[in-house]
Amino acid sequence: MDFWLSYATLASIYVLLGLSTNLLVGIAGIFSVSQAAVFGVGAYIVSYLLMNEVTSFLPAMLVAAVFCVLLNVLVTLPALRVSGDYFVVTSFGIQLLATAIFTNWTFGTGGANGLPGIPPADLFGKTLDSTTQMVELCVGAMILGCLAFWLIMRAPFGRLLRAIREDELAVAAAGKNVLRAKVSAAAMAGAFAGSAGGLYATFLSFIDPSSFDLDASILLLTMVVVGGARTLAGSIIGPFLLLALPQVLSLIDIPTTIAAAARQLIYGVLLIAFMLFRPQGLAGEKL
Amino acid sequence: MSDYLSATGLEVSFGGLRALQDCSFTVERGRITCLVGPNGAGKTTIFNVITGFLRPDAGTVSFQGTPLDGMKPQAIVAAGIARTFQNLRLFVDLTALDNVVVALPSQTGEEPLAAIFRPLHVARAQTRHREEAMQILQHVGLAARAGEFVRNLSYGEQKLLTVARGLATGAELLLLDEPASGLSASALDQIMDLLRRLQTEGKTLLVVEHNTRVVQQIADEVLFLHQGHLMARGTPEQIISDPALAEIYFGGVI
Repeated sequence: MDFWLSYATLASIYVLLGLSTNLLVGIAGIFSVSQAAVFGVGAYIVSYLLMNEVTSFLPAMLVAAVFCVLLNVLVTLPALRVSGDYFVVTSFGIQLLATAIFTNWTFGTGGANGLPGIPPADLFGKTLDSTTQMVELCVGAMILGCLAFWLIMRAPFGRLLRAIREDELAVAAAGKNVLRAKVSAAAMAGAFAGSAGGLYATFLSFIDPSSFDLDASILLLTMVVVGGARTLAGSIIGPFLLLALPQVLSLIDIPTTIAAAARQLIYGVLLIAFMLFRPQGLAGEKL
Repeated sequence: MSDYLSATGLEVSFGGLRALQDCSFTVERGRITCLVGPNGAGKTTIFNVITGFLRPDAGTVSFQGTPLDGMKPQAIVAAGIARTFQNLRLFVDLTALDNVVVALPSQTGEEPLAAIFRPLHVARAQTRHREEAMQILQHVGLAARAGEFVRNLSYGEQKLLTVARGLATGAELLLLDEPASGLSASALDQIMDLLRRLQTEGKTLLVVEHNTRVVQQIADEVLFLHQGHLMARGTPEQIISDPALAEIYFGGVI
């Protein structure tokens, strides 16, 4: 029972990350490979605020979300100057830089040892310390996230982003501010990733840089590609499916030493196979 | 003579190539002005300069007395000038209707926060925008194709849709880049009819066109451009009957 609850909790958190990546990569066409870094910043901020008893959970989440909005806008600004392929390289550098900071800034992040003993989340003065309460919180957050994504995509803003993805110049010629729309998409993606970080930290009560490194960013991209780019269903299916993979692997009798490597291998193969044979993913549109 | 749109001393070079050289002209309100000239004469460059996609090295463009220098494309659209592209640049994965809706000015819900926190308000505004876009499609004769994806439309229908998208911006001056090229005879008649109707409704049109038959039928005035410079202006008859211009225009071909 506990296993299913933590699976649902973790998957809900990753759905928020999937939405974030989908907004940025799938919809706005900003090919970022550093979303895990933003996720990490959210996690560290909430951990810091809760561990030092600066604020309670909700204000801490708000601070993390606002900070990640600003961070993501800053990080994606180069994408508004350099085009597609070059931005991947820039974003790659940003991810490496973030990993270096997470690992070496021992005072703020606990360095490679991570931060243990992060307090559980609380809502309106009530501590959510059981797994059931945590799953409710995370599934609730996921539903809110999905609702927000759905509302955004059916509004003129969603249509504008789709048009921008097809032809920026034509959107500008239609009198629209392309830059502003892209910055807004990056901001929304930042808010999703930051909130996911806060939930992740309070759920696991321990974080370390390995959850927010390049592998994690690529896992997020794989989730979006496998689930399906640019759709709500794709952002939900991808995380639920890929997070089940380690559990499936644990049923097969392989030594634990190669299990992690096998998982990475399968993620890689899935990413390549989907890009080649089913670019629209299970429930999406072509990336 | 009013100076509705006026360009003075435009200079544009691409490396060693001088695309526009001391190019000056005016466009009068309520008329259809055709911009003609051989390939490479600088017609599309003029469009790019007027609409803010290209900054001229020298010279200025004014619209209703206001200089457009340094204005961004979206500001120029807001001032009342919209354009189409020779290669259409439609949003092929959107429906015909959505192509038009995108171009309607300042919509509620173009901001993500409004979309999330005022969904009902946005939904109501959307219904209104769809009706508005539908009327524009009706106007250009595409109402029956509203729900169709652009890639399923014929080339002629796509051309009409680019005009519809320009109209949706609310601009009163439309710059149309070869609206009639590559069209069948019936599609040609349809678009010429549309351009004339737009004129009677008070729009001003500046049209790049190669087809002399089309120019003769729709133009009030013709600007003849050669090597980035305005070489002549006059009625279609004056321009077409001038042997020197015909030599430049057809010389390279025949």
